[in-house]
Amino acid sequence: MNNTIYFKIATPEKVVYEKDVFQVSLPTTSGEITVLPNHIPLVSVLQTGEMKLKDAEGEHLIAVSGGFVEVRGKNEVVVLANSAEMENEIDLERAETARLAAIEQMKIAKSTENVDFAKLQAIVDREMNRLRVGRKYRKLQPMKDS
Amino acid sequence: MAVNTKAIKRRIKSVGNTKKITKAMEMVAAAKMRKAVESALNTRTYATLAWDLLVKLSKQQKTKLPLLEVRQVKKLLIVLITSNRGLCGSFNANIIRKTAEQLNNPINIGRQRAKNGHLEPVKDLAIDVIGVGKKGADFARKMKYNLIASFSEFSDTPKLNDIRPISKMVLEEYEKKNYDKVIVAYTDFKSAITQTAKLRQVLPISEVDLEKMLRDLGEHGDDTANITVAEPKLEIDEYLFEPNAQTVLSIILPKLVETQIYQATLESAASEHSARMMAMRNASDAASDMIKELNLNFNKARQAAITQEIAEIAGGAAALG
Repeated sequence: MNNTIYFKIATPEKVVYEKDVFQVSLPTTSGEITVLPNHIPLVSVLQTGEMKLKDAEGEHLIAVSGGFVEVRGKNEVVVLANSAEMENEIDLERAETARLAAIEQMKIAKSTENVDFAKLQAIVDREMNRLRVGRKYRKLQPMKDS
Repeated sequence: MAVNTKAIKRRIKSVGNTKKITKAMEMVAAAKMRKAVESALNTRTYATLAWDLLVKLSKQQKTKLPLLEVRQVKKLLIVLITSNRGLCGSFNANIIRKTAEQLNNPINIGRQRAKNGHLEPVKDLAIDVIGVGKKGADFARKMKYNLIASFSEFSDTPKLNDIRPISKMVLEEYEKKNYDKVIVAYTDFKSAITQTAKLRQVLPISEVDLEKMLRDLGEHGDDTANITVAEPKLEIDEYLFEPNAQTVLSIILPKLVETQIYQATLESAASEHSARMMAMRNASDAASDMIKELNLNFNKARQAAITQEIAEIAGGAAALG
């Protein structure tokens, strides 16, 4: 019996990660699910959150914001994310700046339009998520220069 | 004679300067092209996977979603993707000519592919244009087409966020039934020397056009050339949908349209840069030829001057002697 899953995550801009993994946890709109080998075929919608992978090298985190996941028959998992970043690629400072900027805009937008507000809220969530994932990663492997 | 050589010399220098500029522009375009081609290739995976998923979903159930609905065409929207700047050979001319040809034949362009044959458009079909890039917008304005929006703030390698306003506008207008068909006119990047102007339907989402577009992508060579729109290996009934197929579809369809427009933008960007690179290379070559010829003329003039001088001296000496 095969005990690995062929995992692939792509955004419209690039393929973020592609590898054989042992298990993967995904944040779907109906709660977090974990896919193990020999999972039944499934299609689900993702929400902003962190994705956890376990492979031969250990654990990886990927920050995603929205998209879908398709679990295919032959131990294949395909994630189509709106945006995704590996833990080690996250620029904490930029995420923080973006988050603050969005919060700032939210204060202005609050009085104007609902649509804008929801969009800004989504940005804040996304940046929060990036920060969270990025921080977790730093704690596991503290950077030498800090 | 001295005046003549001087004029030629000045001209050589000026052509040389032009050559330096065109050479530099060629290099810049080449670097930008590499980047643009790379991002066009990167998007392909997503587009293929999304399409794959859509095929599976649509097999499972024939849902009535507005984006899949084929209506008789009363109003048509065309997204014309061109460049902001010129000096790129016939890049803009080609895509504009192709678009103009099609627009002159509205019955043909407005025909819908339906399940049982074709759906003819109404007689007085109205056409609106969204211009991406200044050149296309200028064309629409000049030809008195109804230009509803113009986007020209893109970088050389557009990001998905840049084109989001376009796709959002297109989707919203289509859902409001303001338009019954949306076509994107772009330049397909085949190689650094060949680019083809193309028109593709993006809405309603049509299998034929999506497949064609994916096939075009496959023609770019390299390992991904063998893209097949894979038949699902499993019976679709075995798929589990969370929360349900309808929700999944209503999210994936707009994404697919967005990806398609994004891909078209990237293809156009890659084409633009390669067209510019070729144009600049031609210009540099022409400058080289010109310098060669001018050098020859210069030497001839110089020699003629010397010969004349010698003849004058010899003549003078003979007169004295």
